[in-house]
Amino acid sequence: MSAVLEIKGLNKAFGGIRVADEINLSLHAGRVLGLIGPNGAGKTSLFNLVCGVVKPDSGEVFLDGAPLAGLKTFERARLGLARTWQNIRLFPSLSVLDNVLIGANDYPGTKLTNVLFRPGMVRAAAYRNLEKAHGILARCGLSDTHDKLVSDLPYGRQKLVGVARALMSDAKCLLLDEPMAGVEGHSYAAIQAVVREVAASGIAVGVVEHNVAFVRDLCDEGVFMFSGKILARGAVADLISDRQLTELYFGT
Amino acid sequence: MDFFYVIVIMVGIYVILATSFNFVIGYGGLISVAHPAFFALGAYASGILARDLGWPVLLTMPIGALFAFASSLLISLPSLRVSGDYLMIASIGFQLGLVEVIKHVSFTGGPGGLTAIPQFLVRDYGTVSYVIFTLVIAVAVVLVTRRIVNSDYGRAISALRDDELAFATLGKNAMWLKIWVIALASGLAGLAGAIYAHYFRFVAPEQFEVLQSAAMLTMVVVGGMRTIWGPVIGAILLQTLPQAITFINLPPSILGPLQGLLFTGVVLLFMFFRPAGLIPAPAIWQGGTSAPIDRKGKLDVRGA
Repeated sequence: MSAVLEIKGLNKAFGGIRVADEINLSLHAGRVLGLIGPNGAGKTSLFNLVCGVVKPDSGEVFLDGAPLAGLKTFERARLGLARTWQNIRLFPSLSVLDNVLIGANDYPGTKLTNVLFRPGMVRAAAYRNLEKAHGILARCGLSDTHDKLVSDLPYGRQKLVGVARALMSDAKCLLLDEPMAGVEGHSYAAIQAVVREVAASGIAVGVVEHNVAFVRDLCDEGVFMFSGKILARGAVADLISDRQLTELYFGT
Repeated sequence: MDFFYVIVIMVGIYVILATSFNFVIGYGGLISVAHPAFFALGAYASGILARDLGWPVLLTMPIGALFAFASSLLISLPSLRVSGDYLMIASIGFQLGLVEVIKHVSFTGGPGGLTAIPQFLVRDYGTVSYVIFTLVIAVAVVLVTRRIVNSDYGRAISALRDDELAFATLGKNAMWLKIWVIALASGLAGLAGAIYAHYFRFVAPEQFEVLQSAAMLTMVVVGGMRTIWGPVIGAILLQTLPQAITFINLPPSILGPLQGLLFTGVVLLFMFFRPAGLIPAPAIWQGGTSAPIDRKGKLDVRGA
């Protein structure tokens, strides 16, 4: 089985701190991979390296076999790489629906010439996107809040909007950065269901998460990261019951 | 009557300037002060081409606008790659530098200004025709801007202003969007400059200094940043109010400083009592007209 996202020998150091130390990792279609490890292990940094937010010192990243080196963040996203953020990063001056709409990959409205001289084309795309966005909002259980300001939503639902926005792009690979931090109750179940559904549709999913129960229930496989290294890969249940890794995690 | 026409033409020109400036700093969230520099570029380019090369004004005006449009790359390309505060610094430098260049080269008329710029419309059709011409363009600029900011483009600009990194990870090219926003606004400022030059027939470098930036900024802020009608009202108010007191019979030695006081006084009052301006911007983006959507946000199937 070929990997959707393939990371080969990735290295990155900020001064003396190595956030990625010879990382080799692959994400496969339809599977959910959990990244666990203590704070500062380099999990979010790995996402930033993959998305092109941070440049690696060495190593390569491939999406569907195509090298991503030298591509900017927005170009990588267009190739099918989507992500969410630990601190959500929604657009505060847009409604929930507009936050999701802006995620569309087919969005001719970013070109002024299209808006002014090809309104029919822009309108057609807007219609397709609107239908799709409403579908995604319904899947995430957000339909009733589509016209709200995102800041008026409870935290958990804001995280859901972040996931919905990332789904809008038809990504091949979805990276979720702590989707569960600060989330409980209804939104917890909703996010879990959505992520399962996303993976079932054939998307490769990577999740950074501290909520061990969530990772265990959701992920087909996990990797344990510590100070920029991947120490182990395997079933999540095995990783979290490993005494050595647990000691590293809790720093005892 | 001519005095009245002059005020109306000035209002029209400043409606274009304030609207386009608001597009950059309000909607785009791009803090640049160099808007008067593009006003100057349009005025000088159109004026020089019409006067020294004898080109028809109807042709030199759009060329002046295009010249300002293209020149905006000089500040946007180098600074937007770095982004943020660098744009403001670059814009200050650009404006100061440009005014100095205009003062020190001969074909612009140097510090004495560009004189005897050919007239347009006024000789053949009278001043009223120029008033109408200016107002038609001003209205068109406002309507086109409204269309843009309420379209999918406006949604993208709002998102970009809110969070550039999140915007980029959604597959959107933030840099080109910013370059276009600045270019469009600069082109409109250039058009306003051309309209100014061919009516008053004289432009001088000191008209485009930082005081001019302050005037435009005041119009946008007092009227209401990030709204369509705010800058329009700001332009009307701040163009007519200082003129209004000239009707009171005061000696010029008092009148000048009084106008200045009025101007700064208005800004101070707004700062304290109405910081969002006369028309406060709504908290949430109000566009979406290009998407077939009704008020409840339901799909309008007729649009399919």
